Parts: sequence; C-alpha cells; structure tokens
Amino acid sequence: MLRLPPFEYLAPRTVDEAVDMMTDNGWGAMLVAGGTDVYPGMKRRIFEPKKLVGLRQIEELKKFEVNGKLTLGAGLTLTRISTHPEIINRYPALATAAGLVSTPQLRNMGTIGGNLCVDTRCTYYNQTEPWRQALTYCMKKDGDTCWVAPGSLRCWAVNSSDTAPIMIALGASVRLVGPMGERSIPVQALYNNDGIEYITKAPNEILVDITIPDATGLRMTYKKLRRRGSFDFPIVGVAAAVRLAEDGTCTEANIVLGAVASYPLKATDAENILIGQKITDELIEEAAKIAFKPAKPLDNTDMGHPYRKQMVRVYLKRALQEVTGLS
Amino acid sequence: MSERSGFREKYGNLPLGKGLGLAGASYISGAGLPIYWNKMPHSGVQLKIDRGGGITVFCGSTDIGQGSDSILAYIVAEELGVTLNDIDIVTADTSLTPVDLGSYSSRVTLMTGNAAIEASRKLRKILLETAAAELMVPPESLEMRDNLVYCLDDEMRRIEFPDLVKIAEAKHGTLGAVGSYTPPRRGGRYKGAGVGPTPAYAYSACVAAVDVDVETGELRVEKIWLAHDVGRALNPLLVQGQIEGSVYMGLGEALMEEQVFRRGLHKIPSMLDYKSPTFLETPDIESIIIETNDPNGPYGAKEAGQGPLLPVMPAVANAVYDAVGVRIDEIPIHPEKIFKAMQQKSKGQAPRVGPNSIPNLEFPEPTRVESQWGHPAEDEARNGT
Repeated sequence: MLRLPPFEYLAPRTVDEAVDMMTDNGWGAMLVAGGTDVYPGMKRRIFEPKKLVGLRQIEELKKFEVNGKLTLGAGLTLTRISTHPEIINRYPALATAAGLVSTPQLRNMGTIGGNLCVDTRCTYYNQTEPWRQALTYCMKKDGDTCWVAPGSLRCWAVNSSDTAPIMIALGASVRLVGPMGERSIPVQALYNNDGIEYITKAPNEILVDITIPDATGLRMTYKKLRRRGSFDFPIVGVAAAVRLAEDGTCTEANIVLGAVASYPLKATDAENILIGQKITDELIEEAAKIAFKPAKPLDNTDMGHPYRKQMVRVYLKRALQEVTGLS
Repeated sequence: MSERSGFREKYGNLPLGKGLGLAGASYISGAGLPIYWNKMPHSGVQLKIDRGGGITVFCGSTDIGQGSDSILAYIVAEELGVTLNDIDIVTADTSLTPVDLGSYSSRVTLMTGNAAIEASRKLRKILLETAAAELMVPPESLEMRDNLVYCLDDEMRRIEFPDLVKIAEAKHGTLGAVGSYTPPRRGGRYKGAGVGPTPAYAYSACVAAVDVDVETGELRVEKIWLAHDVGRALNPLLVQGQIEGSVYMGLGEALMEEQVFRRGLHKIPSMLDYKSPTFLETPDIESIIIETNDPNGPYGAKEAGQGPLLPVMPAVANAVYDAVGVRIDEIPIHPEKIFKAMQQKSKGQAPRVGPNSIPNLEFPEPTRVESQWGHPAEDEARNGT
C-alpha cells in the first residue's frame, strides 16, 4: 500500500488568502482542489509538497453565472458540470467531456479547474518512487533522461485533460488571480507543448473561473478513445465545434485534439479546409487525414502509439460526421 | 447451449461486425496428488456435538468468497437432519482445525464435502444406534430430519435431536468424529503422470456474442451464455455466482489483462493502471447449470470455481472471427490487434495476429505409455483410421 507523506493542509477562505499562502510558501506548496490527481501523485512521490493549500472552502470558486455567456467557478465538480441542465442544453459537448472523466466517484471529487490544470501523464512518470528509481529517474521528476525518447531534450508527457480540448474549441477563457492582480487568457494559452512546463499559470496564481462565450448555433461534440468505458484517461480525445450556414457552408470550425501531445493540439489545417466549404463526406475524410498527420503520440500511454495515431483520423472523422449531420 | 443462444441459426448469418463464438472446456475438481507428495489425506473434517444439540465443524479449508464454509454446513446438516442454525463452522485456523490443502484447483467442495460426509456418517451411526435402542426399533427403520429422529413406520416414535445427543453422550462419552478424503490413485507410473488426474472432471460450454467496430477494432462483448456441468449444485445460487465470477475473470483475460514489460520493468504495475473489466464491460450473463451426478463427488457435486472461465477466451476469439473474419491467436484480444488483422485482411495478407511460430525448443522423445487399452494412437495408425 502506498501512503501519503506527512504534509500540512492550509484552508484559505478567499482567493486572496490562497494567493498569499502560496506566495509565502514558495515552491514547497501546492494547490489542491478535488485531490484526485494531487494525492495519488503524492503517494507515488511525483509531488512532494510540504504544504497543501486547499481550495474547497473558497465560495468564489463555486460560482455559476449565466448571462449570455457562461461563467463557471473552477471549483465546480465534474459531476455538476456533466449533469447541469444549462450545460447539457447549451454546451452539450462540455457535459459529455466532463462526464467521461474517470469514474463517478472521482467526478464527485474532481473539479473543472483541476481537470484543466491536470498534470501531464506518462507511463514512465506516473509510477511509484521505487519503480522510477529502478529505471533511474526521468527528467520530469528527479532525473534527466526522457525514457520515451532518450535522445530528447524535452519531456513528452501527455496532456490528459478531457475538458481542455472542448473548452478551447468553444473559445473559453480562464481568469487567473495572482499576487500582481488578475489576468484573463484563452484556455489554449494556459498550455505549453512541454511535458514539464506544461502550464503557463504561475504556482501562486489561482484559476478562479472559466468563461465560455455564447454558443448558440454551434454544433459540438467530444469523442474519447480509451480501453474501458470508465476510469481510463483519454489516449485520444477529439473536440469539434462547427457552425454551418443555412446552405450547409461551414462558417466556423474549431477542432482540438487531446492526449496526443503535451498540450491540447489545435488542428488548424483541418479547420481551414472546412471553413467556407460545403461539408461533404469527402471533405470530412480529407480534414481527418490532414489532422491526424501532426498528431505525434508516443509510446507513453495505454495502447500502442501507431494505433492511437490511426484512431485520431477515425475519431475526428466521426466527430465531424456527427456535428455536420453526415454519416 | 446452442438452443438457448440460438447459435446454430445465427452463426455465420449476422451482419458484419456482429459475431457469435462457441467453445468448450474441461477442468479438474481438485488435483489427484498434493503439491508436496505424501500419502496423507487432502482434506480433514472434525465434528463436535455439544449437549444442546449444536454441532461444530472444524476444517482447514479457507472460504475466499466462494461459499466453501456454507458447503460444510449444508452437508453436516443434511447427514444429521438438523438445520443450518445448529451448525457452527471453524475454518482456516491451523491451530484448531485438521488439515485441508486449501482453496485452489477447484477442489474444496469435492474434497471437504467428502470428508464432511465421512465424519457425519460416523456420528450418524452412533446416534442412530442409540436412538434404535431407546425406541426399541431397528436402526434401519429410523430417519433423521427436522431436528428429530423418528421411525419411518411409526412417526410418533421419535426423539428430538438435542435429547438424543444427551442420551448418546451419557452412553458413549463425549461425541465427536473425524473424516478425511484422499483422491483415488489414478494414472500411470511415469514422469508427468501426476499432472492432470482428478477425482472428477467438469465440463463447460460457452457462447459469446460480440460487437466489433469495423473501423477501429474496438470490441464489446454483448452477452455470454455459459453452461457448466457441476455434477450437482449443492447451492444453485453459489454455482451461479461462481459461473458469473468465472465469466468476468475470463473476460478480463480475453479482453485486456496483460503483463507488459519495457526496459525490464512492468509497464502497469498497480491496480490503478492494470486493466481489468469494469461493470460497463461486463455483459449480460446467462448461466446454465447442468447436473450429472458424479459418482466421486459429495452427493454428485463437482467443481464450479475455475472451469467455467476456460471456454470464455476461445469463445470470444471465435466470435471476433465470426464478426469480422480475422483470427486473434493470443490473449488479450484487444482493439489494436483486431485493427491490425483487419488491415492485413484488406491488403490480402493473412488475416490473423499472434505468434506465428512455436518457441524454438528441442523437445525430448515422447514417453510411450502402455494403458489398459494398449496404444490407441498406434493402433489407429496400424488400422489406417
């Protein structure tokens, strides 16, 4: 059995208090919301904070505001996101994506903010301390080799968020509050294509809420490949949101791939093929073919990477067929 | 099995992506020889009767959820005509109980059951003789049931079980009995003959219905029918539970459980990452219990613990073949392998994935064994059949 190491738990009541606690404690502190990613990581010693700053008691993080656009507090649970009628009606693919995260028990604990900030994953990194020591540590924690690509100078751990791709496809933005004040950035700008420096949020910045623009007329979906119907992280995720004119011409296309890179991968070339065109089966095939080329899954998740790359094409094709009504 | 699943009508006639597969298997009800060779019994049961009519059963067997404790109680209650409420069970404690070799090889019901019958019948004999003398009738005319001993010809001649126990203890001293079980000696006297013999073989048949995504190779098992010859079901609900558990375990092996090593280390060494089916991967299971009354089993009972899992893997493999026409020759049968085999098929290559040769190993000359029927294979060769 793996045990948690000793740590101190701080329970701020406000965002400002949480920012202060993080600033005061420097690198020795970590934020925790639902804890579904942080605690297993601590048990495996991939996270070794002396202090945890718990966000559960901050009321501001539980906000739910509808006003044309939708503002979601980062502390809302994934269960809430996946079952809320407003979300099911107006942003169905977001409800789908949130409902596909892990298991019902973990969705009851895990939060939307936590899922957006979830650590990148790798089968050489998400292992116990003795396992990692046996191989000698990887560059993401305590070592300097990338075991997936040993000649590589960078870490290839995989962004494994189910909700990030659809948030990006919907044009959502996040509000971060730190010691220097607050800033709002598009969700895409929250991520770097690097397994270690995967997030642009500073450790002492708090992700307070997420705002999603009005999506009236957008046709959206999220599709996820994994081995089982529950529990498993995505090994391919496809989020698509398109707008079609009355004559069937595509006026807007947003396609984002999850779990095939260290950040959510926007399939810009595929989007460009669709925009301004009448959608046909052939066009969808072409878009899927173009989109799966830049996807570079490596052998560091469940299932083999050649298969995952092939599945990007099939899953994207199906996502586009679904949103355009062709199939 | 064929009737319940509609196999004959449906096999080969389902649309692309849908398939049915049939397979059969057999398994041992306990090994004929112990792991560490000796001539002592494989299972021992000790009974103690207290003055209130309660019976304590001591046995070294370990109930790992299959219900083996309750089997002991059913048998002792059946033999002595008492209710389950009168039975106390003490198991899995080597300082208190006689030896039982343990919960493996699907051996517990057959072996502890036979030992419990032997111990119970020794006590039954003493009790019946005591009652016969008390009621002044021959012991053969007596029946034990419903906590009573009574004369079959005259049911008013009766003694309540707790009273009988007191009379018997006054007459014979402290009441107790032991029973044990050693499997019959089977097989020849040559190297390897110790592997495979058992007091009773059990047989299973399975039909699996699957749905294969023809573009991705993703595989869903929609239904499993499983018929198991258990000899006799001492508790049909427990047998059904064992069949369902076996199907679940078999599906884990068939679909996803795998030891993957990279750079000398296990890729998925924790239950967080090791894949076994969830509720969502567990299909409808139709259990069919077949009773054949085996002469070596307690009341005819054989195993149900592991046998039913064996036909699940080949049934799934056969169903995949029926669905998309490809053969996966190894487990787990997962989407990647099906996808690869389908790609090979579309390119006109061999539509199968799995090992394409046997390990490079020098096999020794086979040992020729004389059986009581001579050399069947050689006779056939001689006769040209």
